Amino acid sequence: MSINAWELDPEFKYEVASTPGGENIMRCFQCSTCTASCPIADIDPNYNPRKTIRMTLLGMKNKVLSSDEIWMCAICQMCTERCPQDVRISDVMGAIRQVAEKEAKKGNIDIKSVRPTFEKAFMHQIEKYGRSYEIGLTMEYYQKVHKGFVSAMMAMQKDYTKLGMRLFKKGKMPITSMLPEKIKRTDEVKKIFKSIGD
Amino acid sequence: MSVTKLAYYPGCAGATHAIDQEMSTKAVFEQLGIELIEMEDWNCCGAAEAEDPNMVYALNARNLVIAEKEGLNVATPCSICFYNLARTDKALKEDENLRKRMRDIDSSLDYKGTISAKHTLDILVNEVGLDEIGKKIKKKVAVKVAPYYGCYLERPSEIGFDNPEMPDSMDKIVELAGGTPIPFKQMRIRCCGGPLMMTRGDLAFEMSKRVLEAAKKGGADCIITACPLCHMMLDAKQPDIEEFFNTTIGMPVLYFSQLLGLALGVEPKKLALNKNIVSTKEIEEKVI
Repeated sequence: MSINAWELDPEFKYEVASTPGGENIMRCFQCSTCTASCPIADIDPNYNPRKTIRMTLLGMKNKVLSSDEIWMCAICQMCTERCPQDVRISDVMGAIRQVAEKEAKKGNIDIKSVRPTFEKAFMHQIEKYGRSYEIGLTMEYYQKVHKGFVSAMMAMQKDYTKLGMRLFKKGKMPITSMLPEKIKRTDEVKKIFKSIGD
Repeated sequence: MSVTKLAYYPGCAGATHAIDQEMSTKAVFEQLGIELIEMEDWNCCGAAEAEDPNMVYALNARNLVIAEKEGLNVATPCSICFYNLARTDKALKEDENLRKRMRDIDSSLDYKGTISAKHTLDILVNEVGLDEIGKKIKKKVAVKVAPYYGCYLERPSEIGFDNPEMPDSMDKIVELAGGTPIPFKQMRIRCCGGPLMMTRGDLAFEMSKRVLEAAKKGGADCIITACPLCHMMLDAKQPDIEEFFNTTIGMPVLYFSQLLGLALGVEPKKLALNKNIVSTKEIEEKVI
């Protein structure tokens, strides 16, 4: 892959560095300890956090932000722990994902991964109830991914019937878990969302 | 023993499908004479889904304030909740500007930094202490155990409480209970893939399969874990993993609190061992 310097965005690294979690990205000296320690890279050899950081530092903004890799990190902190430069790669990846969501909102890039949809659906439950509500989360997420109620229900049935029955039989899905557990002072949580956003 | 009362943060899993962890944690602390008082009106920690650290800090500032008002330290049995609560505690204690930013959002986030937030495993091993727990051991759980730590208990190390490369607090619990920990090197700290389950299930399954197979290959009778997400992946989804890879594993996965509870003489039902997906019968039979 040849890189054309004029097509690079030298501002990109500063954008990541000024996003919460991305502060230390410029400390990276490309030793690759992160990739060598990564359990995802161990499964998929195309996954390479060192490369994502290098591409970010070079300014390959669109390529990084529309890549699938940034959504494959399991946030296990192995890279962060072993990095000799304290880049905090897990957090840097999170910062890059935040920038990607911003750019996708503006219509500048397309995100193929379903992860931001899942994360948003998860945060919506907290905003509404103060706690995670698994059924609400799954309903919202499946409807967004499968575009519509009927196809969402069918997909959910396919993915969850066995697990659901298994948990139900063992009493791990009590009737009470069908309904959200709403905290009393949701107004306090709503203030957080209003101030920080999702 | 100085710990007598703690603010208990169950986390969203504890309130639902991790009822086995919830019950066994409460049973163990009861045996040790430590009162767990569930925090009033606690909120979700943001799990692995809150991408913005400021969101994590705000959500958990509210939780910390609730415990601080009671003058109690926080105890949680979930690794992810622990990570989010503890990193918030650290960030707020170190950064006056961040504290002010939180205060400015709402007075319910005005954390003074007078308490701490710890995982129940840390509290048991390092605060209550093995000697104290040892005095209350009534039975021997003669099994070979793969101690599975996963993430956050030990790393990142400025938050974690155990050795980041070779954590051993659960090994100590196993030995105290009369069992034998298998070496389980490297694999004990490898991620189960849980945070990817809903969006890259293929990767999550592969990651969990590796943990399960390593335990089996190492001759373990069971795995123990300290996190409801790890437990969901390794236990509740084990039949799905077996089907996905067309293989048979059959590895019981206990919460460390279930294993410790057995050694403390708690009856299996009170530890919710009947709620584990993979049968724990063979483990229960080895309690002498």
